[in-house]
Amino acid sequence: MPRIGVFVCWCGSNIGGVLDCPQLAREAASFPGVVYSVDYKYMCSEPGQNLIIEAIKEHRLDRVVVASCSPRLHEETFRKALARAGLNPYLLEMANLREHCSWVHAKEPEKAQVKAVDLVRRAVAKAALLQPLVSSQIPVTKRCLVIGGGIAGIQCALDIADAGHEVILVEREPTIGGNMVKLDKTFPTLDCSACISTPKMVAVASHPNIKLYTYAEVAEIGGYIGNFKVKIKQKARYVDHDKCTGCGTCWEKCPSKVPDDFNGGLGTRKAIYIPFPQAVPNKPVIDANHCRVFNNKKCRVCEKLCPTGAIDYEQQDTFIDEEVGAIVVATGYELFDWTKAYGEYGYGMYPDVITGLQFERLVNAAGPTGGKIKRPSDGKEPKTVVFVKCVGSRDEAKGKSYCSRVCCMYTAKHAHQLLEKVPDSQAYIFYMDVRTPGKGYEEFYQRTVQDGAIYVRGRVSKIYQSGDKLVVRGADTLLGRPVEVKADMVVLATAMQPAAGVETTARLVGAPVDQDGFIQEAHPKLRPVETHTAGVYVAGCCQGPKDIPDTVAQASGAAAKVVGLLSHSKMSTSAMISTVNEALCTGCMLCEPVCPYKAIEPKVITERLPGQPPRERTVAAVNSGLCQGCGCCNVACRPGAIQVKGFTNEQMLAEVDAICL
Amino acid sequence: MKQIVDRLRQEAARLLAAGDVAMVIGYAKGTDVARTTPYFATNEEEAQNLTWNPFCTNNLVKYLLDFRFEDTKLAVVVKGCDSKGINRLIYDRQFPRERVVVLGVPCGGLLDRSKVLATIDPGAELQSVEDLGQEFVVRTDHGEFTFAKEQYLLPKCAVCRNPNPVISDVLLGEELPVAEEEKSDTFDDIVEMEALDPAAKSAFWDRHFNRCLRCYACRNVCPACNCRECAFEQAVPGWQQEACWLSKKASVDNNYTFHLIRMFDVTGRCIDCGECERVCPVNIPLRKLYRKVIKDVQELFGDTTPGLNIGDGLPLTSYRKEDPEEFM
Repeated sequence: MPRIGVFVCWCGSNIGGVLDCPQLAREAASFPGVVYSVDYKYMCSEPGQNLIIEAIKEHRLDRVVVASCSPRLHEETFRKALARAGLNPYLLEMANLREHCSWVHAKEPEKAQVKAVDLVRRAVAKAALLQPLVSSQIPVTKRCLVIGGGIAGIQCALDIADAGHEVILVEREPTIGGNMVKLDKTFPTLDCSACISTPKMVAVASHPNIKLYTYAEVAEIGGYIGNFKVKIKQKARYVDHDKCTGCGTCWEKCPSKVPDDFNGGLGTRKAIYIPFPQAVPNKPVIDANHCRVFNNKKCRVCEKLCPTGAIDYEQQDTFIDEEVGAIVVATGYELFDWTKAYGEYGYGMYPDVITGLQFERLVNAAGPTGGKIKRPSDGKEPKTVVFVKCVGSRDEAKGKSYCSRVCCMYTAKHAHQLLEKVPDSQAYIFYMDVRTPGKGYEEFYQRTVQDGAIYVRGRVSKIYQSGDKLVVRGADTLLGRPVEVKADMVVLATAMQPAAGVETTARLVGAPVDQDGFIQEAHPKLRPVETHTAGVYVAGCCQGPKDIPDTVAQASGAAAKVVGLLSHSKMSTSAMISTVNEALCTGCMLCEPVCPYKAIEPKVITERLPGQPPRERTVAAVNSGLCQGCGCCNVACRPGAIQVKGFTNEQMLAEVDAICL
Repeated sequence: MKQIVDRLRQEAARLLAAGDVAMVIGYAKGTDVARTTPYFATNEEEAQNLTWNPFCTNNLVKYLLDFRFEDTKLAVVVKGCDSKGINRLIYDRQFPRERVVVLGVPCGGLLDRSKVLATIDPGAELQSVEDLGQEFVVRTDHGEFTFAKEQYLLPKCAVCRNPNPVISDVLLGEELPVAEEEKSDTFDDIVEMEALDPAAKSAFWDRHFNRCLRCYACRNVCPACNCRECAFEQAVPGWQQEACWLSKKASVDNNYTFHLIRMFDVTGRCIDCGECERVCPVNIPLRKLYRKVIKDVQELFGDTTPGLNIGDGLPLTSYRKEDPEEFM
């Protein structure tokens, strides 16, 4: 029979104010297996923990029940106390008297007392069946993969590399930089986006610890925390970057002109191109969809002109294998495609209705207009510009339910830039709310209002072309009357959504996504850069909409987590994971598809039975590095061969019996 | 029916002679006129003892599991209902497809032994059976008897939807036509049961479970019951006896627990072959239990009766985005 000790905590008046803790301790003493029970004001305090340790030694306790708060809060604390007393830390069971009882039943202390007794009886019943558990050790590969080379990926890679660990940075575009380098100026300080991001891009390219793969994608990820095996697909660039010097002759002479994605489709680029002048690497790729050679036409101009013979039309996609210990997902965002949802704004029919990102390119000195604000249709300078906020954001009917967080600020910035650059111009801003929570943000917004931007509270119901003007109809809900503005150009602040392909990446790394497709962090407050898959972290807008300061902060946070992981050469895994009773396992492998962490694989064992020749048989095997102890396999296992350690069927049943019988 | 028997013996002899299979599992003449016995032919001579008639009720598929750790190939004779069991075993990875040769028999239904014996002397010698579509003509040394299918078929055969095997390597006869309206299950028996009020249902099952002997015949014959150690027979140390799922004692509440656990265990997996009901020594209408969950699973997840295709996932262990989730 086990020797159980019960420790009832008052938690000051949190529990003690509602429940009669001394009575509870006396009652617990009568439960089967309990040899010692006591109550104390604060069990988690130093003297409280010492009380447990002394009791374990004095009464030779081999199971401990602490009746206090949620195990989320102090299970670790008390496990450590058990370990200090020389007991296996997993011989602890907690009864949650605070969240499950005293807090919720504060108005009915008598009934609460009865429930508290049941909760303690349950914990005692389970404690009697607890078994010592040990965690296993797995080696850690001290390298990190960062997926996505926007500002989040760049910052994260630099921080990890600076800490002395090797980083593999994978970017699917021909250059790193992401969306940030497309921006003109950044709020609220109005510093030039390219000026502050390009030095970081160069730092990535020249860092001895960073291995950069651009125009590449992650094709496969196997393994587990500390030991991921990654297959990277290097897409064919058709330009040998070892030979290329980036001289630029090829893209100057290329005859194919293509709408420029980097400029939001406003200008053109060539079929052989670098996305923008400060691209890293500053060497071109051939866009096979538009190159004449790949469309069976005569050309080969770039090949003829290239002074180093770097053009190679025969180049193929190649695959590179890398081993890493941690993965950071920083795949960023793209803009919600308003042209598919907003018929009232013309489904994209009117060339002068543009997105915020296109406006950024229009005001940028390196953009298609050389920094002069000209409207796309006829190149005229727009005098009256309407800005519409929350296009796709906060609109459950047509777009996303969430707030994209940056639109209020960048629209204020756009209005400011318009009023500054275009004399006698007028900016109208249709808004639902103005949200400016950030350092210096409200001041910036007030400055735009003082600049003369007209803020109209209400949504725009219709935009249509009338002559060379766009008529914008909406309502001013503060004055309660309809508004009509004849505008030269309309800028829509469209919602941020996860970049295309995030589901694929999420599936590869085994991290769940939320209803909007953003990667789910492990805990919204306390584990904001971790995912539910151990060793996989998130940074930037792939986790949720955020501005540059928040993205950089989160990227550095993720880097700190990675550096913490990589600072050990070995790590211990969770002890409360699945285990397979091979004698019972029929090898049906139904557990394999239900495992969200790919932790279960078939394994062939040799079985020896008396009087029979040895025979081979397939059973399920749990990888202790990958298993998170979620219990899906336990449920799927028909023969009951899989149990989660610390939550076995017998333990659960004993708990149910203790409460219900 | 004679052609099928000839073809069966010929095919079995060929497979055994060529060494393609080490054994053919089929049926042979039984101890009385309306009985056959499972038969394990291992050579050409024994193959001539194999037979086929509307008294071949046993589902032979589960015998495969007795040979699962050998590396020889086996042939097994299956009817439409049994053939789903082959898919069950393959999907459950209990027997590899490449080790079994499926000898499929298109089956015109099985005769109810007890009803037949009311007409024929059990000691009579069976000479031949003719399937005329609506009736069977049975010739014995005591004379010739005609049994109308409508009246003499086993209840499960009267509403059969798979007279032709769903999986077979060799089909031993002409495929039988299946009328369109016979292809889908209407679950009349279950609808009737569902209409009862809870007290009546409870009384119904009380009466039946009270008689359960816990002989586990239903489990032993079931192709979906292929655990290595049954949850109801696990050895539990004395001090954990309290934490055991249920006691081995045959009492109404323990019997309820046994049957309901078994029902949930075969949910989405029961192929509705009806063997459990046939082997039950106290005639508990077990198919009513299992068909209820087949109906529920069909209504919830739109799955057909399990076992029709190997590729069908199991509704309770696969996840699809369109699965209903009213509980969320």
